[in-house]
Amino acid sequence: MTAALPLPTTRTHCPYCAFQCGTVLGGDSPLSVTVAGDEAFPVNAGKLCIKGWSAGELLNTPDRLLTPLVRTGGALKPASWESALDLIADKFRQIQRDHGLDAVGLFGSGALTNEKAYLLGKFARVALRTPHVDYNGRYCMSSAAGAGNKAFGIDRGLPFPVSDIALSRTLLVAGSNPFDTLPPIAQWFERQRANGGRLIVIDPRRTPTARAADLHFANTPGSDLTLANSLMFVAVEERLLDAEFIRTRTAGFDAVRRTVLTYHPAETERLTGVPEAAVRQAARWLATGTPAMTLTGRGPEQQSKGVDTVLAFINLMLALGQVGKVGGGYGCLTGQGNGQGGREHGQKADQLPGYRLIENDAHREQVARVWGVDPASLPRKGHSAFELLDSLGQPDGIRGLLVMGSNVAVASPDAGRIIDRLKSLDFLAVCDPFVNETAELADVVLPVTQWAEEDGTLTNLEGRVIRRRRAFAPPPGVLSDLDILKELAGRLGCGDKFTFDSEEAVFDEFRQATAGGTADYSGITYARIDAEQGVFWPCPSEDHPGTPRLFAERFHHPDGKAKFHPVEHRPGGEEPDHEYPLYFTTGRYQEHYNSGAQTRRVSKLTGAKPAPRVQLHPELAARWGIESNSLVTVQSRRASVEFAADIWSGIRPDTLFAPFHWGGRAAANLLTQASLDPTSRMPEFKLAAVRIAAVRMAELV
Amino acid sequence: MSREQLAIVGNGMAAGRLVDDLLRRDALKRYAVSVFGEEPHGCYNRILLNRVLLGGAVDDITLKTAGWYADRGIALHAGTPVVRVSPAAHRLWTADGREFYFDKLVFATGSEPRVPRVDGLRKSDGTFKDGVAVYRTAADVGRMRAVARPDRPAVVVGGGLLGLEAAKGLADLGMHVTLLHLFDTLMNRQVDRTGGAMLRRAIEALGISVRTSATTKAVLGKTRAEGVALGGGDVLPADLVVFASGVRPRTELAKDADVPTNAGIQVNDRLETLVHGLFAVGECVEHDGRTYGTVQPVYEQCGVLADVLCDPATPSRYRGSKVHTRLKVAGVEVASLGDIDPRQADDEVIQVIEERRGVYRKLVIRDGRLAGAVLVGDASAAPGLIQRYDRGDPLPANRLDLFASVDRGSDLADGMVCHCHQVNEQQLAAAVRGGCRTLQDIAATTGAGTGCGSCRGKLASLLLKAAPSPVAAM
Repeated sequence: MTAALPLPTTRTHCPYCAFQCGTVLGGDSPLSVTVAGDEAFPVNAGKLCIKGWSAGELLNTPDRLLTPLVRTGGALKPASWESALDLIADKFRQIQRDHGLDAVGLFGSGALTNEKAYLLGKFARVALRTPHVDYNGRYCMSSAAGAGNKAFGIDRGLPFPVSDIALSRTLLVAGSNPFDTLPPIAQWFERQRANGGRLIVIDPRRTPTARAADLHFANTPGSDLTLANSLMFVAVEERLLDAEFIRTRTAGFDAVRRTVLTYHPAETERLTGVPEAAVRQAARWLATGTPAMTLTGRGPEQQSKGVDTVLAFINLMLALGQVGKVGGGYGCLTGQGNGQGGREHGQKADQLPGYRLIENDAHREQVARVWGVDPASLPRKGHSAFELLDSLGQPDGIRGLLVMGSNVAVASPDAGRIIDRLKSLDFLAVCDPFVNETAELADVVLPVTQWAEEDGTLTNLEGRVIRRRRAFAPPPGVLSDLDILKELAGRLGCGDKFTFDSEEAVFDEFRQATAGGTADYSGITYARIDAEQGVFWPCPSEDHPGTPRLFAERFHHPDGKAKFHPVEHRPGGEEPDHEYPLYFTTGRYQEHYNSGAQTRRVSKLTGAKPAPRVQLHPELAARWGIESNSLVTVQSRRASVEFAADIWSGIRPDTLFAPFHWGGRAAANLLTQASLDPTSRMPEFKLAAVRIAAVRMAELV
Repeated sequence: MSREQLAIVGNGMAAGRLVDDLLRRDALKRYAVSVFGEEPHGCYNRILLNRVLLGGAVDDITLKTAGWYADRGIALHAGTPVVRVSPAAHRLWTADGREFYFDKLVFATGSEPRVPRVDGLRKSDGTFKDGVAVYRTAADVGRMRAVARPDRPAVVVGGGLLGLEAAKGLADLGMHVTLLHLFDTLMNRQVDRTGGAMLRRAIEALGISVRTSATTKAVLGKTRAEGVALGGGDVLPADLVVFASGVRPRTELAKDADVPTNAGIQVNDRLETLVHGLFAVGECVEHDGRTYGTVQPVYEQCGVLADVLCDPATPSRYRGSKVHTRLKVAGVEVASLGDIDPRQADDEVIQVIEERRGVYRKLVIRDGRLAGAVLVGDASAAPGLIQRYDRGDPLPANRLDLFASVDRGSDLADGMVCHCHQVNEQQLAAAVRGGCRTLQDIAATTGAGTGCGSCRGKLASLLLKAAPSPVAAM
C-alpha cells in the first residue's frame, strides 16, 4: 500500500516479532499515525503483515496506562512517580535486609531494546546485587542458543542474512510456521521456489507453510529428534555425506554415526508417524539439492529435549557439509522482537554483556572494569526463568520481583501455578504500557514508553543491529524503562553507576562492555546503523564491516571446528496415556503476538481473531459429537480450559492445538507443563497430555 | 559403598541397549558392569548386516566399540563366550577358563538360526561345508562373502524376513538367487495369501527366483556346496546355500544352570527368571508364553529391566509388546502388525487390492479398533496404522480414510486467504466473478496479496481455477 505519506516521516521498526520489519511512520500525532512498510529496509523490503500495519493503534489505545498505580486497600490506584518509585526501592531494600540479597529478582524480556536489556542486567548485578535476573527469552529460542553454543561455539539465530533463504536449493523448516508468525519472510520463500528450490516442512499441523511444501512430515509431537536422526541414518547408509567437510571442519562425527544406526527410518515410523519413503526422499533432496538449509522454530525447541533436538538437525547439516556455505547451513527463526539482542547482554541469569559468562572469572573481571566495581561484588549465576518464577514466595525463594516487558502470567507454562506464585510474593512491581494480566497482580505498576515513543537498538533474527527511532513524544506521565532503572538505582545508592542522559549514551557504554566478547558490538554506532541499514555483530571496531555470515572459514570453538554431539530420543516430561490420551501443542495466530498484551488491544486484530479456538481433527470431532464452534473442555493434569472448536483435517487426529495469546480462563498455558531442558532450561510448551472432558453446544448469539 | 557386580552375558543388541538404559539411569554408581560377548567385536546392529554383506566393514554397523566400554568404565570381555553359570556360587566361567563373581546376572544370549534337518550340510568334522552358511552374525556374513561371486548361483532357504533380506543382498552382489520357502506364502507369519502373492511378484521383479512349498532335502557337494536337492527331486546348482529359516532362543546356558526355560528363558514382568538375582532380556526370553524376534520388544524389555535393576521398588513392569514388522528390502514395502487374519466371528476385514500398482492393503478390525494390518507394495499408511494400533484408538467410520494419502485436500479452516487484509475465499471468488483476472486486479479490488505477500501463491491458484484467461505474473 503506497498511499502518499504526509511529511515528516520516521523510519523505524515494527513493535512485534524478530523479523523487525522496517516501517515508515507518518502523521502529525499518534492519533493520525500511518504505518507503511519500508521499501529500503532489505529484510522485509516494504512488506508488512496485518500486525505491522495495524500497529499504530497501539499508540492510541483507550486503556493505555498513563500514571503509576499502587495497590492500596486491595485495589490498584493512581499514585505519583515519586511515591511509586520510593515504594519499590523501600520494599526491595527491606526484603534484602530481612531475607538476603538473593530474595529479590528481576524478570526481563526479549521485547526490550538492547539498551534496556543491558541496563536491567547491570541493575541486577550492581544496584540490587542479586543473581536472579532472567527473562522470557528462555521461553523463546534458548534451546537453539544452547545447541548453537555447543555445536558452533557461538549463538546467533541466523548465522546469515535472511536473504540467503532464497539461495538454498533445499530448505527444511522444522517446527515453524513462518508464513503466519513472520509473514513477510514469505517473499524469501517465494524467491527460493522461483529459483527452483524445494521446501520440506516438519510440523504436526498442515500450516500455511506446510501447504507450500514439496514434502510435509506431519510428525508426532516430540519426535523431531528421531526424525532428524533418521535423516542422518539415510545420509550415512546412502553415502550422502560430505566426508571432506567432516574431516577438515568438524570433530566428533564417529559417535553420531554410530548413534544413528538404531534410527532406521522403517523402525522410527512407529514413533514419528512419518513413512520411510518420505524420509529417504527428504534426505536425498537435502544431500543433492545443495546448498541445503535447515531452519528450526519453537516446535523442536520448546521440548524438554530441545537442545538435543536442535543438535540433531545441526548434526545433519554438518554431515552434509552445508554449514558455512552461502545459501546453506542451520538457523533458528527467533521469535521475539529482540530475542537475539536480549540474550546477549546480561539480563540472563548466567550471562554478562557481550555473551560473556558470569561464572567465567576473566569475563567477570572484564565487565566489572567497565562498570567500575569489584569483580568479587558481582553475584554468580542465578535461577533460570521458570525456576525463578517457580521460586516466588517459596521458602528461600524470591519475595520481591520487578517484571519489565513480559506478561509472565500468560506466557509461562503451567500458568495457574505461576499465577499462584506471583500472588504469594511479598512485593511485585511491573513496568508495562498496559495493565496486562501480570500487572493486575502487582503492587506497583509503572507506565512506560513503547516502540514509536522511544529510541534504542534491537538485534533482529539475523544478528543485524537496528535502530528503533522515536516518532512521537510519549504521552505525559509515562517514563522509559531506562529512566525507571536510573531512578531506582539512585534510590538504592548507586546513582553514580547510572548516569546516562540518552539511549545512545547507554548504547555507548554497553558497546564498550561487549568489547572482546563473543557478541562484540564495540564497533557499532547509531550513525553506522543509520547509514548501513543495520550492522551485523560481531563488529569489533568502527572500521570493521560487521559479519553478515559466520562460519565460512571457521567455527568459534578454540580449534575452529564444529562439534558433533550424539543425541538420542527420550520421552517428553508428559506423554499421552490412558487417562490423558491426546497430545496438546500450542502456537500462534497470524493476527496475534505472544501473550496478546499488545495485539488484543488492536481492533483490526481482535476483529479477525477475537478468541482462541482449539483445532481438532474431524475424526476426533465425529467421535465426540463436536461441531464447529462447539464448546470443548480440554483438560490436562493441571487445569481445564474451554475453547470453541475449530475442526480441521490439517491437524493429526491424536493432537489438539490452541494459540497461547490469551490469558484468564482461555489461557492455553494453563494446560501446558514445565518439564525443563537440562541445558537451556526451556519449558516443554509443545508437548502435554490432555483429554476432552466435556462438549457442549455453542451458545446461540 | 562398594558396588555390586552385574554380569551381562551376551553383547548383541539387547545387551547394548540395556547398557545404554543403565547409563541413562546412572547405574554405574550402583553396579560394576561386565559384558561378556561371544563375538570379537563391540556391539553391532545385526539388522544392518546387509551392509557388511555388500562389502562394508563391521565397524560401519558397530554401535559400541571396545573403546566405548573402556571410556565408561564398563568391563568388556569380547570374544569370550560364557560356558557355565552357577547361580548358587554367584560365579560364571568363560571358555578360556576364567572365573568371575557376580551379584546379579542378565542373560542376553539372543537367539540362533534354526537349521532344518538336511543331508550333506556338514563336513566330517561337524562344521558346515564351504558355501553353507546361516545369516546371523558378522562371521556368517564373512562366510557368505567368501564364496559369493557375481553370476554364480545361490540358494536361500527360508522366505521370511531374514531370508528375503539375505536373498536381496546376494542378488545385489550379482548372484543368481533362488529363494526356497517351505510354505506356500512368503513371510507367511506376517502376510496373508493374497499379500504373499503380491510380495512374490515384487521379489521376482528384483531378479530373485522364488519357489514356495519347497522342501530342502540335501546340500550336494563333497567339501563345498555345489547344489541343493529338493523334496520333489529337482536339483538346483548353488555355490552358496544360506539357511535363514527362523531362529530359536538360546537357552542352553540358563538350562544348564537350572534356570527354568521353555521355548525361551522364562521371566516374569520384572524380566527376572525364576531364580532370584538372575534376569533375562531380549530374544532369549519367553514372557507370558511369547518370544520375540524383532528389535522393538527387546528395547521395551531393556527399559523395564534397567528400571528394575536400578530400583528394586520400581513399579515398572513389562506387559508384553505389540509387534510390528517392516521388511527392509529396498524397493519392496511390507508392513505387518497384529492379527493378519480374522480370529473372531464378527471381526471386520477390509481389503484393497490394486493389481496394476502391485499394492495390497488389509485391515482386521475388532470392536471398532485395529486388530491387525498387512501392507504390501505401499507401506505409506504404516506409521498411522501402527500408532492407532498401539494406542487402541477407535477408527474413523469410513475405514478407507486410513489409507488416504497424507496430503488429502483441505484448506484452512476459516477460508482466510489474505490475513493481512482479511480477505477470504468467498470474497476472492466474488472479485473474480466481478472481472478480476490478474493478481494486480485482485490487489486493486480487495487488497489481497499486498501485505506480507505470503498468500500470493494461493491467490494465483485460485485465479487459475476461476479465471478463463491465463494469469499475468505480478
